[in-house]
Amino acid sequence: MEQAVFYLFAAILLFAATMVITVRNPVQAALFLVLAFFNAAVLWVLAGAEFLGIALVVVYVGAVMVLFLFVVMMLDITVAPVREGFARYLPVGLVVAVLMALQLGVVILSDEVALVGGLIPEPAADVNNIRAIGGVLYTVYVYPFEIAAVILLVAIIAAITLTLRRRTNMKHQDIPEQLNVHKDDRLRVLKMETERRPDRGGVGHEEG
Amino acid sequence: MFETFETLFWIFAKIWAVLIPLFLAVAYFTYMERRVIGHMQDRRGPNRVGYKGLLQPFADALKLLFKEISVPTHANRVLFLLAPALSIGPAVAVWAVIPFADGWVVADINAGLLYILAMTSLGVYGIIVAGWASNSKYALLGTLRASAQVVSYEIAMGFALVGVLMAAGTMNLSGIVEAQAGPFWNWFWLPLLPLFLVYWVSGVAETNRAPFDVAEGESEIVAGFHVEYSGMAFAVFFLAEYANMILICVIAAVMFLGGWYSPFHGVPVLGPALDWVPGIVWLLLKAGFFAFCYLWFRATFPRYRYDQIMRLGWKVLIPVTVVWLVVLTVLIYAGVGPWF
Amino acid sequence: MRPLREYVRSFLLVELLQGLRVTGRHLFKRSVTLEFPEEVAPKSPRFRGLHALRRYPNGEERCIACKLCEAVCPALAITIDSHQRADGTRRTTRYEIDLFKCIYCGFCEESCPVDSIVETRIDWHLMESREQRVIGKERLLEIGDQYEAQIAADRAADAPYR
Repeated sequence: MEQAVFYLFAAILLFAATMVITVRNPVQAALFLVLAFFNAAVLWVLAGAEFLGIALVVVYVGAVMVLFLFVVMMLDITVAPVREGFARYLPVGLVVAVLMALQLGVVILSDEVALVGGLIPEPAADVNNIRAIGGVLYTVYVYPFEIAAVILLVAIIAAITLTLRRRTNMKHQDIPEQLNVHKDDRLRVLKMETERRPDRGGVGHEEG
Repeated sequence: MFETFETLFWIFAKIWAVLIPLFLAVAYFTYMERRVIGHMQDRRGPNRVGYKGLLQPFADALKLLFKEISVPTHANRVLFLLAPALSIGPAVAVWAVIPFADGWVVADINAGLLYILAMTSLGVYGIIVAGWASNSKYALLGTLRASAQVVSYEIAMGFALVGVLMAAGTMNLSGIVEAQAGPFWNWFWLPLLPLFLVYWVSGVAETNRAPFDVAEGESEIVAGFHVEYSGMAFAVFFLAEYANMILICVIAAVMFLGGWYSPFHGVPVLGPALDWVPGIVWLLLKAGFFAFCYLWFRATFPRYRYDQIMRLGWKVLIPVTVVWLVVLTVLIYAGVGPWF
Repeated sequence: MRPLREYVRSFLLVELLQGLRVTGRHLFKRSVTLEFPEEVAPKSPRFRGLHALRRYPNGEERCIACKLCEAVCPALAITIDSHQRADGTRRTTRYEIDLFKCIYCGFCEESCPVDSIVETRIDWHLMESREQRVIGKERLLEIGDQYEAQIAADRAADAPYR
């Protein structure tokens, strides 16, 4: 049962990944990438790593790919012709592919990971996935974690400062100032005596 | 083999036991919306179809069912028809982890809170695909507005829920409710009051409802991302939108108002006196209050300008949540009150 | 001091709560909508609705085909043909009003020297095809006969102000 589910989603994942690089419309390619991410998340959940799977959906599918799609939709990219420059990029692509395969192989075949048996170690029944990750993340790996956080913070600030420009000749609205306007600043209600016309002597409103 | 079918049968039975009441709730939420807003504007609302108009939602559904689904020229046909499914799928899937009463939950998973965040963030794809596939500038503009808004407010909402997670010490929704066991001053709305308000505001913005409904903005961009949809395809979008609204209400009740607990749970005299009321009634009452607030807001507040929406989300709500998370850490560390 | 107070106020959502109070109060007010076919809003005796031609109590039609209404009609909605009857009086052979052209200004009624053409209180009349927009003399007289009591009462009620 579980194997059937695994192979089903693995097949969808492979299909989606192939479509990402073969489909001609960039928006469709991005959507296939979303599908690929989603299926990868399902596979992780099947493997017992529910936190990782759901985090993949939250981060990549929910945030990164949305921005990706945004850019692709806004840029008005023309549909790419099939196999343009296929031969030219082939050597570089092959090198990258071989390198990645080697890296994966090194990790998988190494003794530390010990995945050669083909089986993922069974998680203990009473260990909460999230609690376990949190426990490791904030004790053993706390320095790498904090350093990564600081690097990300620097990246955020850098990105904001790079795009932030204060143009002085712009006539834009200052929203906080608008919101803080009070009617007392601009409006003065005067209480005035009712006026009478001196030549008539009567009360003003009788003349109508 | 037989056992597999039996488990499958029970899974389906549970799913439908949630979905059918959900769809009915959506139907009557639309009816309630029209009635409540009508009365707030000194009108009456629909009252002709059936007794007091109670059959109106079915009349509307039937009308939509028999209408033609027209696909615009040069629209991407496959994606155009896929978009409603993309938007209803996550909206319905979230309900799997919602605990309706003690033990009444389809899938009692550990990462329930995270699952909710993941599913609500998936909902934006329905919007994006619909707007892009429609080949219409109004739909595209509506899509840009809606998705930017949803993505921004998700952050504030996620932070607010992180507060709940810290207070409860678990991501399991049943666990979160159990952490609030007790009378109403034991619930999380009190220690997490700023987060509660932020959650509620961003929940309203997340579902693109008034006063944050520029994404629909009928005075500017007709109806937003689903302008080109008609008939059942439109109805599915509608269903997803309202299912999401009800979801936000129920999550608010679960996270901040003690889920299925009665307001006087554990109080000497009143507690036992109210014990006969089933838990789901309390949950529905709490969620119903939030649903009413949705309509109340829509009848009261004028629409925000788009830059003001973004300002509120990024510059007000997110800092408020971050500040309160720090305060919360101190509160938890000090072990304040009945909560921690 | 005031900016600070306003800042705190904005976080306490005071103004939003005030707005919510207003709509909350109106929720429990009586709604002003009328259930149309069963409930009808009261109408003034001066209401200008569907037209009618009146008769004298002895059954003689009032209209003498003076064509003042035809002349005064700003929308050119009235068409009149006339002839001399055997008793020497002048009467209409054709009196047609195009209801699509008519703007219900009431000038025809004002101009009529014999109070023949009037505008009644009937404000929801319907037609099933475009041809029915022109109503002729028979139909106008018929309406007049049917609603004579109300028409007469309305004129009497309005008479002191004319």
